[in-house]
Amino acid sequence: MRPASRLLPLLALAIACPAIAQRASDRVDPAPTAADWQAIARLPDWSGTWSPDIVDQNAQIRTNPTPWKPDIQRQVDHWTAEEAAGRPKGLLIDCLPHGTPTFILITHNALEILFSPGRVTILGESDGNRLRRIHTDGRAMPADPDPSFHGYSVGHWDGSTLVVDTKGILPQVYLAVSEAVGIPNNGDMRVKERIHLVDPDTLAFDLEIDAPRVLTRPWKTTRLYHRKRQRSHEIVEGVCRQGDFRDATDARGNAIFAPAYQQDGNILPAPNEK
Amino acid sequence: MTSATKPSPMPPRFRRLLAVALVLAVPAMPLAAHHSFAMFDPGRPMTFQATVKTLQWTAPHAILWVQAGPVGGYDAGLWSLELPTSPGNLSKMGWSRTVLKPGDKVVVDINPMRDGRRAGQFKKARIVATGKVLGIGTIPGTQPPK
Repeated sequence: MRPASRLLPLLALAIACPAIAQRASDRVDPAPTAADWQAIARLPDWSGTWSPDIVDQNAQIRTNPTPWKPDIQRQVDHWTAEEAAGRPKGLLIDCLPHGTPTFILITHNALEILFSPGRVTILGESDGNRLRRIHTDGRAMPADPDPSFHGYSVGHWDGSTLVVDTKGILPQVYLAVSEAVGIPNNGDMRVKERIHLVDPDTLAFDLEIDAPRVLTRPWKTTRLYHRKRQRSHEIVEGVCRQGDFRDATDARGNAIFAPAYQQDGNILPAPNEK
Repeated sequence: MTSATKPSPMPPRFRRLLAVALVLAVPAMPLAAHHSFAMFDPGRPMTFQATVKTLQWTAPHAILWVQAGPVGGYDAGLWSLELPTSPGNLSKMGWSRTVLKPGDKVVVDINPMRDGRRAGQFKKARIVATGKVLGIGTIPGTQPPK
Protein backbone atom coordinates (compact mmCIF):
# COMPACT_ATOMS: atom_id res chain seq x y z
CA MET A 1 0.00 0.00 0.00
CA ARG A 2 1.36 3.45 -0.89
CA PRO A 3 1.60 5.92 2.02
CA ALA A 4 -1.27 8.12 0.79
CA SER A 5 -3.63 5.21 0.47
CA ARG A 6 -2.59 4.04 3.90
CA LEU A 7 -4.00 7.28 5.32
CA LEU A 8 -7.26 7.01 3.43
CA PRO A 9 -9.10 4.82 5.95
CA LEU A 10 -8.02 7.18 8.76
CA LEU A 11 -9.16 10.19 6.78
CA ALA A 12 -12.51 8.55 6.12
CA LEU A 13 -12.87 7.82 9.83
CA ALA A 14 -11.96 11.40 10.73
CA ILE A 15 -14.59 12.76 8.37
CA ALA A 16 -17.17 10.35 9.74
CA CYS A 17 -16.30 11.15 13.33
CA PRO A 18 -15.26 14.74 13.98
CA ALA A 19 -14.38 14.00 17.60
CA ILE A 20 -11.54 11.76 16.47
CA ALA A 21 -10.22 14.41 14.10
CA GLN A 22 -10.25 16.89 16.99
CA ARG A 23 -8.20 14.61 19.18
CA ALA A 24 -5.27 15.04 16.82
CA SER A 25 -4.75 18.44 18.51
CA ASP A 26 -5.59 17.24 22.03
CA ARG A 27 -2.38 17.72 23.95
CA VAL A 28 -1.45 14.86 26.24
CA ASP A 29 0.22 15.90 29.47
CA PRO A 30 3.11 13.67 30.54
CA ALA A 31 2.92 11.93 33.88
CA PRO A 32 4.43 14.00 36.68
CA THR A 33 7.98 13.10 37.57
CA ALA A 34 9.63 12.87 40.97
CA ALA A 35 11.18 16.24 40.20
CA ASP A 36 7.71 17.71 39.64
CA TRP A 37 6.62 16.52 43.11
CA GLN A 38 9.89 17.75 44.66
CA ALA A 39 9.22 21.18 43.18
CA ILE A 40 5.99 21.30 45.18
CA ALA A 41 7.98 20.87 48.38
CA ARG A 42 9.71 24.17 47.62
CA LEU A 43 6.43 26.08 47.39
CA PRO A 44 5.18 28.00 50.44
CA ASP A 45 3.29 25.94 52.99
CA TRP A 46 -0.44 26.65 52.56
CA SER A 47 -1.62 23.47 54.28
CA GLY A 48 -4.34 23.50 56.91
CA THR A 49 -7.78 25.07 56.83
CA TRP A 50 -8.24 28.74 55.99
CA SER A 51 -11.09 30.62 57.67
CA PRO A 52 -12.23 33.95 56.25
CA ASP A 53 -11.73 37.08 58.34
CA ILE A 54 -15.34 38.24 58.40
CA VAL A 55 -14.60 41.38 60.41
CA ASP A 56 -12.15 42.44 57.72
CA GLN A 57 -14.59 41.48 54.94
CA ASN A 58 -17.09 43.93 56.38
CA ALA A 59 -14.42 46.59 56.95
CA GLN A 60 -13.28 46.27 53.34
CA ILE A 61 -16.80 46.84 52.06
CA ARG A 62 -17.15 49.94 54.27
CA THR A 63 -13.74 51.48 53.62
CA ASN A 64 -13.13 50.39 50.04
CA PRO A 65 -16.57 50.24 48.48
CA THR A 66 -17.26 48.65 45.13
CA PRO A 67 -17.04 51.30 42.37
CA TRP A 68 -20.46 50.53 40.91
CA LYS A 69 -21.65 52.43 37.85
CA PRO A 70 -24.35 54.96 38.80
CA ASP A 71 -27.27 52.91 37.44
CA ILE A 72 -25.90 49.76 39.09
CA GLN A 73 -25.43 51.68 42.36
CA ARG A 74 -29.16 52.41 42.30
CA GLN A 75 -29.86 48.67 42.14
CA VAL A 76 -27.38 48.05 44.96
CA ASP A 77 -29.05 50.75 47.07
CA HIS A 78 -32.42 49.10 46.44
CA TRP A 79 -31.28 45.67 47.62
CA THR A 80 -29.47 47.21 50.59
CA ALA A 81 -32.71 48.95 51.59
CA GLU A 82 -34.72 45.78 51.05
CA GLU A 83 -32.45 43.89 53.42
CA ALA A 84 -32.67 46.69 56.00
CA ALA A 85 -36.45 46.47 55.71
CA GLY A 86 -36.41 42.74 56.46
CA ARG A 87 -36.87 41.59 52.88
CA PRO A 88 -33.41 40.30 51.95
CA LYS A 89 -32.80 39.07 48.43
CA GLY A 90 -31.47 35.54 48.70
CA LEU A 91 -28.66 35.64 46.16
CA LEU A 92 -27.44 32.16 46.97
CA ILE A 93 -30.50 30.28 48.12
CA ASP A 94 -30.73 28.40 44.83
CA CYS A 95 -27.48 26.68 45.84
CA LEU A 96 -25.74 27.55 42.59
CA PRO A 97 -22.05 28.35 43.16
CA HIS A 98 -21.02 31.80 44.33
CA GLY A 99 -18.52 31.77 41.46
CA THR A 100 -15.39 33.85 41.07
CA PRO A 101 -14.70 36.24 42.74
CA THR A 102 -17.72 36.25 45.09
CA PHE A 103 -16.67 32.95 46.68
CA ILE A 104 -13.45 34.58 47.86
CA LEU A 105 -15.10 37.94 48.65
CA ILE A 106 -18.00 36.99 50.94
CA THR A 107 -17.77 33.38 52.07
CA HIS A 108 -18.23 32.69 55.78
CA ASN A 109 -16.91 29.19 55.40
CA ALA A 110 -13.40 27.82 55.39
CA LEU A 111 -11.40 26.75 52.36
CA GLU A 112 -8.39 24.56 51.73
CA ILE A 113 -5.75 24.73 49.03
CA LEU A 114 -4.15 21.70 47.41
CA PHE A 115 -0.98 21.66 45.34
CA SER A 116 -0.29 19.02 42.72
CA PRO A 117 2.01 19.12 39.69
CA GLY A 118 0.72 21.78 37.32
CA ARG A 119 -2.32 22.61 39.45
CA VAL A 120 -3.52 24.52 42.46
CA THR A 121 -7.00 23.50 43.63
CA ILE A 122 -9.11 25.55 46.02
CA LEU A 123 -11.91 23.70 47.79
CA GLY A 124 -14.51 25.48 49.90
CA GLU A 125 -16.55 24.22 52.81
CA SER A 126 -20.31 23.81 52.80
CA ASP A 127 -20.90 23.41 49.10
CA GLY A 128 -19.51 20.68 46.95
CA ASN A 129 -19.56 23.30 44.24
CA ARG A 130 -17.02 25.69 45.76
CA LEU A 131 -14.17 24.41 43.66
CA ARG A 132 -11.52 26.29 41.71
CA ARG A 133 -8.95 24.69 39.44
CA ILE A 134 -5.96 26.92 38.74
CA HIS A 135 -3.63 25.64 36.04
CA THR A 136 0.00 26.33 36.91
CA ASP A 137 1.56 24.22 34.15
CA GLY A 138 2.49 27.18 31.99
CA ARG A 139 -0.44 26.94 29.61
CA ALA A 140 -1.77 30.07 28.00
CA MET A 141 -5.22 31.45 28.79
CA PRO A 142 -7.55 30.10 26.09
CA ALA A 143 -8.85 32.78 23.76
CA ASP A 144 -12.50 32.02 24.48
CA PRO A 145 -12.99 29.58 27.35
CA ASP A 146 -16.44 28.09 27.87
CA PRO A 147 -18.20 30.27 30.46
CA SER A 148 -18.42 28.72 33.92
CA PHE A 149 -19.15 29.82 37.49
CA HIS A 150 -15.51 29.91 38.54
CA GLY A 151 -14.13 30.74 35.12
CA TYR A 152 -10.93 29.48 33.57
CA SER A 153 -7.89 30.16 35.73
CA VAL A 154 -4.21 30.08 34.84
CA GLY A 155 -1.58 30.88 37.41
CA HIS A 156 2.13 31.07 38.02
CA TRP A 157 4.39 31.54 40.99
CA ASP A 158 6.10 34.89 41.44
CA GLY A 159 8.41 33.93 44.28
CA SER A 160 6.07 32.81 47.03
CA THR A 161 3.04 34.59 45.54
CA LEU A 162 0.56 32.74 43.37
CA VAL A 163 -0.50 35.02 40.52
CA VAL A 164 -3.85 34.01 39.02
CA ASP A 165 -5.73 35.26 36.00
CA THR A 166 -9.37 34.22 35.52
CA LYS A 167 -11.81 34.82 32.68
CA GLY A 168 -14.70 32.97 31.10
CA ILE A 169 -16.99 33.69 34.05
CA LEU A 170 -20.73 33.33 33.41
CA PRO A 171 -22.47 36.72 33.13
CA GLN A 172 -25.05 35.61 35.70
CA VAL A 173 -22.40 35.19 38.40
CA TYR A 174 -23.01 37.78 41.09
CA LEU A 175 -20.47 40.34 42.07
CA ALA A 176 -21.69 40.39 45.67
CA VAL A 177 -20.85 42.30 48.83
CA SER A 178 -23.09 40.13 51.03
CA GLU A 179 -25.53 37.23 50.76
CA ALA A 180 -28.30 39.77 50.11
CA VAL A 181 -26.60 42.44 48.01
CA GLY A 182 -24.99 41.69 44.69
CA ILE A 183 -25.41 42.29 40.97
CA PRO A 184 -24.76 39.89 38.08
CA ASN A 185 -21.45 40.82 36.47
CA ASN A 186 -23.28 40.78 33.11
CA GLY A 187 -20.28 39.54 31.16
CA ASP A 188 -16.64 40.24 30.27
CA MET A 189 -15.46 40.06 33.87
CA ARG A 190 -11.80 39.28 34.43
CA VAL A 191 -10.24 38.72 37.82
CA LYS A 192 -6.57 38.97 38.69
CA GLU A 193 -5.35 37.71 42.04
CA ARG A 194 -2.10 37.71 43.97
CA ILE A 195 -2.35 35.15 46.76
CA HIS A 196 0.35 35.27 49.40
CA LEU A 197 1.10 34.90 53.11
CA VAL A 198 1.23 38.16 55.02
CA ASP A 199 2.30 36.41 58.23
CA PRO A 200 2.88 32.73 58.96
CA ASP A 201 -0.83 31.99 59.39
CA THR A 202 -2.60 34.68 57.39
CA LEU A 203 -3.20 34.37 53.68
CA ALA A 204 -4.13 37.41 51.61
CA PHE A 205 -6.04 37.35 48.35
CA ASP A 206 -5.26 40.66 46.62
CA LEU A 207 -7.95 40.90 43.96
CA GLU A 208 -8.31 43.17 40.98
CA ILE A 209 -11.82 42.76 39.58
CA ASP A 210 -12.42 44.15 36.14
CA ALA A 211 -16.16 43.98 35.48
CA PRO A 212 -16.64 46.64 32.82
CA ARG A 213 -20.40 46.22 32.56
CA VAL A 214 -21.07 47.06 36.20
CA LEU A 215 -17.99 48.89 37.54
CA THR A 216 -16.56 52.29 36.64
CA ARG A 217 -13.01 50.98 37.06
CA PRO A 218 -11.24 47.78 38.13
CA TRP A 219 -11.85 47.26 41.86
CA LYS A 220 -8.84 46.37 43.96
CA THR A 221 -9.65 44.75 47.25
CA THR A 222 -8.12 42.25 49.66
CA ARG A 223 -9.55 39.34 51.61
CA LEU A 224 -7.77 37.67 54.52
CA TYR A 225 -7.95 34.05 55.62
CA HIS A 226 -6.58 32.69 58.91
CA ARG A 227 -4.97 29.28 59.16
CA LYS A 228 -6.28 26.64 61.54
CA ARG A 229 -4.62 23.29 62.00
CA GLN A 230 -6.94 21.81 64.63
CA ARG A 231 -8.85 18.76 63.45
CA SER A 232 -12.06 20.44 64.59
CA HIS A 233 -11.50 22.87 61.72
CA GLU A 234 -11.09 20.21 59.05
CA ILE A 235 -13.53 20.79 56.25
CA VAL A 236 -16.48 18.42 56.27
CA GLU A 237 -18.92 17.61 53.51
CA GLY A 238 -21.69 20.13 53.21
CA VAL A 239 -24.04 19.63 50.32
CA CYS A 240 -25.98 22.85 49.82
CA ARG A 241 -29.11 21.23 48.39
CA GLN A 242 -29.38 18.72 51.20
CA GLY A 243 -31.01 21.53 53.13
CA ASP A 244 -33.86 21.49 50.59
CA PHE A 245 -34.93 18.07 51.82
CA ARG A 246 -36.12 16.41 55.00
CA ASP A 247 -35.46 12.87 56.11
CA ALA A 248 -38.38 10.63 55.30
CA THR A 249 -39.35 7.00 54.79
CA ASP A 250 -41.07 5.73 51.66
CA ALA A 251 -43.93 3.23 51.51
CA ARG A 252 -41.46 0.33 51.35
CA GLY A 253 -39.60 1.49 54.42
CA ASN A 254 -36.59 2.94 52.61
CA ALA A 255 -34.80 5.99 53.95
CA ILE A 256 -35.30 8.80 51.46
CA PHE A 257 -35.01 12.55 51.11
CA ALA A 258 -38.39 14.25 50.69
CA PRO A 259 -38.55 17.81 49.39
CA ALA A 260 -38.90 20.28 52.22
CA TYR A 261 -41.60 22.90 52.18
CA GLN A 262 -39.94 26.27 51.79
CA GLN A 263 -40.53 29.84 50.83
CA ASP A 264 -37.94 32.51 50.07
CA GLY A 265 -35.16 30.20 51.14
CA ASN A 266 -36.69 29.43 54.52
CA ILE A 267 -37.38 25.82 55.37
CA LEU A 268 -40.79 25.84 57.05
CA PRO A 269 -43.36 23.47 58.45
CA ALA A 270 -45.75 22.60 55.62
CA PRO A 271 -49.05 24.53 55.78
CA ASN A 272 -50.97 21.46 56.93
CA GLU A 273 -48.20 20.15 59.18
CA LYS A 274 -49.04 20.06 62.87
CA MET B 1 -45.27 30.79 78.14
CA THR B 2 -41.94 32.34 78.65
CA SER B 3 -39.99 29.82 80.56
CA ALA B 4 -40.13 26.50 82.23
CA THR B 5 -37.67 25.90 84.93
CA LYS B 6 -37.28 22.55 86.50
CA PRO B 7 -34.58 22.25 89.09
CA SER B 8 -31.59 20.77 87.39
CA PRO B 9 -30.30 17.48 88.73
CA MET B 10 -26.80 18.47 87.72
CA PRO B 11 -24.39 20.02 90.23
CA PRO B 12 -24.02 23.74 89.56
CA ARG B 13 -20.26 23.48 89.13
CA PHE B 14 -20.63 20.88 86.39
CA ARG B 15 -23.31 22.97 84.79
CA ARG B 16 -20.96 25.93 84.70
CA LEU B 17 -18.24 23.82 83.14
CA LEU B 18 -20.62 22.60 80.50
CA ALA B 19 -21.79 26.08 79.80
CA VAL B 20 -18.22 27.21 79.26
CA ALA B 21 -17.22 24.19 77.25
CA LEU B 22 -20.19 24.27 75.00
CA VAL B 23 -20.46 27.64 74.32
CA LEU B 24 -21.80 29.29 73.23
CA ALA B 25 -23.91 31.94 74.72
CA VAL B 26 -21.87 34.79 73.36
CA PRO B 27 -24.01 37.68 72.16
CA ALA B 28 -25.23 36.64 68.78
CA MET B 29 -24.10 38.55 65.75
CA PRO B 30 -25.61 37.75 62.41
CA LEU B 31 -23.59 34.92 61.00
CA ALA B 32 -25.48 34.00 57.92
CA ALA B 33 -23.28 31.75 55.87
CA HIS B 34 -25.71 31.37 53.03
CA HIS B 35 -28.37 34.04 53.18
CA SER B 36 -29.22 37.16 55.10
CA PHE B 37 -31.20 36.79 58.33
CA ALA B 38 -33.09 40.05 57.84
CA MET B 39 -36.36 38.14 57.36
CA PHE B 40 -36.30 37.47 61.10
CA ASP B 41 -37.43 40.21 63.47
CA PRO B 42 -34.93 41.02 66.24
CA GLY B 43 -37.47 43.53 67.58
CA ARG B 44 -39.86 40.75 68.67
CA PRO B 45 -37.67 38.23 70.46
CA MET B 46 -39.55 35.23 71.85
CA THR B 47 -38.80 32.67 74.52
CA PHE B 48 -40.92 29.55 74.90
CA GLN B 49 -40.80 25.94 75.91
CA ALA B 50 -40.90 23.28 73.23
CA THR B 51 -40.10 19.67 72.51
CA VAL B 52 -37.36 18.76 70.07
CA LYS B 53 -38.60 16.88 67.03
CA THR B 54 -35.23 16.69 65.32
CA LEU B 55 -32.00 18.57 64.86
CA GLN B 56 -31.59 18.67 61.07
CA TRP B 57 -27.81 18.55 60.78
CA THR B 58 -27.43 19.71 57.20
CA ALA B 59 -25.71 22.37 55.15
CA PRO B 60 -26.01 25.16 54.41
CA HIS B 61 -27.77 25.91 57.72
CA ALA B 62 -28.75 23.40 60.38
CA ILE B 63 -32.37 23.59 61.51
CA LEU B 64 -33.88 22.76 64.91
CA TRP B 65 -37.46 21.48 64.54
CA VAL B 66 -39.54 21.78 67.69
CA GLN B 67 -43.15 21.24 68.71
CA ALA B 68 -44.65 23.95 70.88
CA GLY B 69 -47.98 24.71 72.43
CA PRO B 70 -49.78 27.99 71.77
CA VAL B 71 -47.37 30.87 72.24
CA GLY B 72 -47.92 34.57 71.66
CA GLY B 73 -50.43 34.77 68.83
CA TYR B 74 -49.28 31.48 67.33
CA ASP B 75 -51.23 28.25 67.30
CA ALA B 76 -49.67 25.13 68.72
CA GLY B 77 -47.56 23.30 66.18
CA LEU B 78 -44.24 22.62 64.56
CA TRP B 79 -41.60 25.34 64.33
CA SER B 80 -38.47 25.44 62.17
CA LEU B 81 -35.70 27.33 63.93
CA GLU B 82 -32.81 28.10 61.64
CA LEU B 83 -29.28 28.04 62.97
CA PRO B 84 -26.92 30.59 61.48
CA THR B 85 -24.48 28.33 59.74
CA SER B 86 -23.42 24.88 58.61
CA PRO B 87 -22.65 21.75 60.60
CA GLY B 88 -18.98 22.36 59.73
CA ASN B 89 -18.97 25.74 61.45
CA LEU B 90 -21.30 24.64 64.28
CA SER B 91 -18.91 21.80 65.13
CA LYS B 92 -16.19 24.37 65.74
CA MET B 93 -18.52 26.02 68.28
CA GLY B 94 -18.91 22.79 70.22
CA TRP B 95 -22.16 21.60 68.67
CA SER B 96 -22.75 18.10 67.35
CA ARG B 97 -25.67 16.37 65.67
CA THR B 98 -26.49 14.59 68.94
CA VAL B 99 -26.35 17.57 71.28
CA LEU B 100 -30.16 17.81 71.09
CA LYS B 101 -32.25 14.67 70.82
CA PRO B 102 -35.85 14.04 69.80
CA GLY B 103 -38.06 14.43 72.84
CA ASP B 104 -35.74 16.80 74.71
CA LYS B 105 -37.70 19.55 76.42
CA VAL B 106 -36.05 22.87 75.69
CA VAL B 107 -36.63 26.54 76.31
CA VAL B 108 -35.73 28.35 73.11
CA ASP B 109 -34.87 31.98 72.43
CA ILE B 110 -35.65 33.00 68.86
CA ASN B 111 -36.34 35.92 66.57
CA PRO B 112 -39.55 35.02 64.70
CA MET B 113 -40.17 35.40 60.98
CA ARG B 114 -41.62 38.82 60.25
CA ASP B 115 -44.60 37.40 58.36
CA GLY B 116 -46.08 35.39 61.17
CA ARG B 117 -45.20 31.91 60.00
CA ARG B 118 -44.09 29.41 62.66
CA ALA B 119 -40.40 29.78 61.98
CA GLY B 120 -37.57 31.70 63.47
CA GLN B 121 -33.91 32.42 63.86
CA PHE B 122 -32.46 30.23 66.58
CA LYS B 123 -30.57 32.15 69.24
CA LYS B 124 -30.32 29.91 72.27
CA ALA B 125 -31.76 26.74 73.77
CA ARG B 126 -31.68 25.53 77.35
CA ILE B 127 -32.25 21.82 77.88
CA VAL B 128 -34.74 21.67 80.72
CA ALA B 129 -33.53 18.36 82.13
CA THR B 130 -29.89 19.33 82.42
CA GLY B 131 -29.77 23.11 82.34
CA LYS B 132 -27.26 22.90 79.53
CA VAL B 133 -27.35 26.01 77.37
CA LEU B 134 -26.65 25.89 73.66
CA GLY B 135 -25.99 29.23 72.05
CA ILE B 136 -24.34 30.66 69.02
CA GLY B 137 -21.00 32.38 69.06
CA THR B 138 -18.82 33.72 66.37
CA ILE B 139 -17.33 31.10 64.11
CA PRO B 140 -13.93 30.29 65.59
CA GLY B 141 -11.22 30.93 63.07
CA THR B 142 -13.14 33.50 61.12
CA GLN B 143 -11.69 36.27 63.23
CA PRO B 144 -8.05 37.25 63.62
CA PRO B 145 -6.20 35.04 66.10
CA LYS B 146 -6.04 36.60 69.57
